[in-house]
Amino acid sequence: MTNDGNATDHPLSPAQRQRQRLSALLDTILPASEDGAMPSAGELDFLAFVREQAEDFMPALGRALDHFDDEFPDSPLPVRLARVQDYAGTEGKAFNSLLFHIYDCYYQDDRVRELIGVMPGPPFPQGNTVEPGDLSRLDAVVARSPGYRRSLR
Amino acid sequence: MNKASDNETVDVLIIGAGASGAAVAWSLADTRMHILCLEQGDWTTTSDYPTNAKNWEAQQFGAYNINPNVRGLETDYPINGDASPIDVVNFNGVGGSTILYAAHWPRLHPSDFRVKTLDGVADDWPVDYAQLEPYFVENDRMMGVSGLAGDPMYPPKLPPLPPLPMGLVGDTMAKAYDKLGWHWWPSDSAIISEPYEGRDKCLNLGPCVSGCSQGGKSSTDITYWPQAIRSGVELRTRCRVREITVNEQGMADGAIYYDGDGQERFQKAEVVIMACNGVGTPRILLNSKSAQFPDGLANNSGLVGKNLMFHPVSVVQGVFEERLDSHKGPQGCCILSKEFYETDGDRDFVRGYNMQIVRGAGPLTTAMQGHGSGTIPWGPGHHEAFRKRFDHVASIVNVCEDLPEECNTVTLDPELVDSNGIPAPKITYRVSENSRKMLAHSVARGREVMEAAGAREIVSNDLLRASGWHLLGTARMGHDPASSVVNSWGRSHDVKNLFIVDGSIFVTSGGVNPTSTIQALALHIADTMKQNLANLFD
Ligand SMILES: Cc1cc2nc3c(=O)[nH]c(=O)nc-3n(C[C@H](O)[C@H](O)[C@H](O)COP(=O)(O)OP(=O)(O)OC[C@H]3O[C@@H](n4cnc5c(N)ncnc54)[C@H](O)[C@@H]3O)c2cc1C
Ligand code: SF4
Repeated sequence: MTNDGNATDHPLSPAQRQRQRLSALLDTILPASEDGAMPSAGELDFLAFVREQAEDFMPALGRALDHFDDEFPDSPLPVRLARVQDYAGTEGKAFNSLLFHIYDCYYQDDRVRELIGVMPGPPFPQGNTVEPGDLSRLDAVVARSPGYRRSLR
Repeated sequence: MNKASDNETVDVLIIGAGASGAAVAWSLADTRMHILCLEQGDWTTTSDYPTNAKNWEAQQFGAYNINPNVRGLETDYPINGDASPIDVVNFNGVGGSTILYAAHWPRLHPSDFRVKTLDGVADDWPVDYAQLEPYFVENDRMMGVSGLAGDPMYPPKLPPLPPLPMGLVGDTMAKAYDKLGWHWWPSDSAIISEPYEGRDKCLNLGPCVSGCSQGGKSSTDITYWPQAIRSGVELRTRCRVREITVNEQGMADGAIYYDGDGQERFQKAEVVIMACNGVGTPRILLNSKSAQFPDGLANNSGLVGKNLMFHPVSVVQGVFEERLDSHKGPQGCCILSKEFYETDGDRDFVRGYNMQIVRGAGPLTTAMQGHGSGTIPWGPGHHEAFRKRFDHVASIVNVCEDLPEECNTVTLDPELVDSNGIPAPKITYRVSENSRKMLAHSVARGREVMEAAGAREIVSNDLLRASGWHLLGTARMGHDPASSVVNSWGRSHDVKNLFIVDGSIFVTSGGVNPTSTIQALALHIADTMKQNLANLFD
């Protein structure tokens, strides 16, 4: 299941209209990058993510969507941004929670992770390679150090 | 393993299975005494830690949060921190806070034990670095510690394993310290850089502060505890101690605790050792009131719960043009600088601080922190701002020495209780004038380092709220019963069969992460107990 409603299927059912609002909300909060390299949040299956990983959040998501009317999906970007800004200003805690879940879904996505240079999947057991660093510079540290402060018994 | 029945008296009862409880249990095990440890939490399993799952970062905001009030597990107790600008963070379970610690592993310096003599402030310790030195060595061997010998800011020491890789973050920052002519050194870390004692080496996953899935981080559930249990120590989990009881002679004779089913139980003991950390130990002592000890056990001095020391922490973060691979490698262990560790008469404060270079966070944390600080917006500017920051940062965590003040306290909250109805601790703490000046100095010097490193943007936080990692001083050591709670080997001045081995007994805080010193002290106390077994209570 994706977040998109079926635009040709008029009149839309309440559930479909809600999905359209969700999709528009996701694309407003986290749009695709200007160069098109990074997908928008609306391109990921946010609903499936909430169902699988954050079911407790589902009622709050419903309440968040209730703040946006059916005009919202078709409004121009500046209007949508202003509406979300307004929501963030009046419902700060709820907005932060929404944002957290959107980011959580987005930055767990394997495609997104690859694009930002993070290996897909959980960190364990793959691990990472880290450069050892240049320890030869420590000779100079030793040479210039006054040494540790002595303390008499 | 010996199993104590409820009405059987154990020789030694240890409360708390964290850093110090584990060390003291292991050391005492060779006496073949009957040793029982009661721990309120559970065992954790490496396969349960967040980094096994894709949502590992989200778990750090919830069930693996470092703040017990956010975590809110049944095994946690709430802490009232309303009267403190610093929040207590911890973990309650086998391994204690070492389950979540960053494993940065500096020792206190020789000068830290002599601050009164050297700088005319606070008090000297009744022990010194030279006395603890063999225990530092033994503890490093038991825990598994990586590092590089030769740091001129310490007496000679030889970590058992080679240092962890510095990575691009360490290299970049080291060059900056070189440019300024300041000290730096690869951090000693309680993380194994090579296979050690049946454990596999660190895989550089990054988020050590939510538990190490690889077992590369040396938490005491996988270091001391297996050995202590093999040697006969009994460890009982889900046992939350409410109070230590005393007999008519004023000696400790056991503990009342709640088991996992919430049943009240009593365990008799010849010797009681407190190892619940700098908040948990004063809480239980203050809750152990009796006719002989109306103000709480071992509190004739009135100092139980007083002189609470954290390390006030400032953070300076640099954002770099080039990618630093910041999310790779143990987050808290990279390099450090002791350039401003010691008192300098030209400054407007005494004592000093350790500059700990830390790596960056994962993507979710980066995005959320960026939202909080206004540096990474949601909406059209998100990707550009995120790209510039994620994996492009290095931070300096300045761990400032906190001097003891009696007004900084752990007391019993009059209303808040844990799930067993035991009063919760209440923290009352203020940042001293000396600390404020030190924090300001540390931010200014941190900014200089970041400039020298070529950071294109520098942000700082003058006082990190979520930094109550180090819980010290609330049952201090000393020779004089009027001005201290325990003697030079952790024995209560008032109750001769009661010992304290955790961070509570620190006289001063030093300016470094304390756990290697906490454990060295615990080993020192255990050894002294063993040497004095015949006349332990004289
Ligand atoms: C996020 C984080 C990062 C840290 N990073 C570092 C670091 O890099 N370097 C460093 O040196 N230190 C670090 N620390 C601090 C370090 O973990 C502590 O200094 C150390 O664990 C303290 O040892 P302790 O024995 O005093 O107490 P703890 O290890 O906290 O153990 C206390 C134990 O007592 C148990 N307990 C408490 N009350 C009761 C009761 N009533 N009944 C039964 N059991 C009880 C608790 O459940 C707990 O298991 C960090 C801590 C945290 C939380
Ligand atoms: S960086 Fe190393 S020690 Fe830290 S969690 Fe990963 S494997 Fe464990």
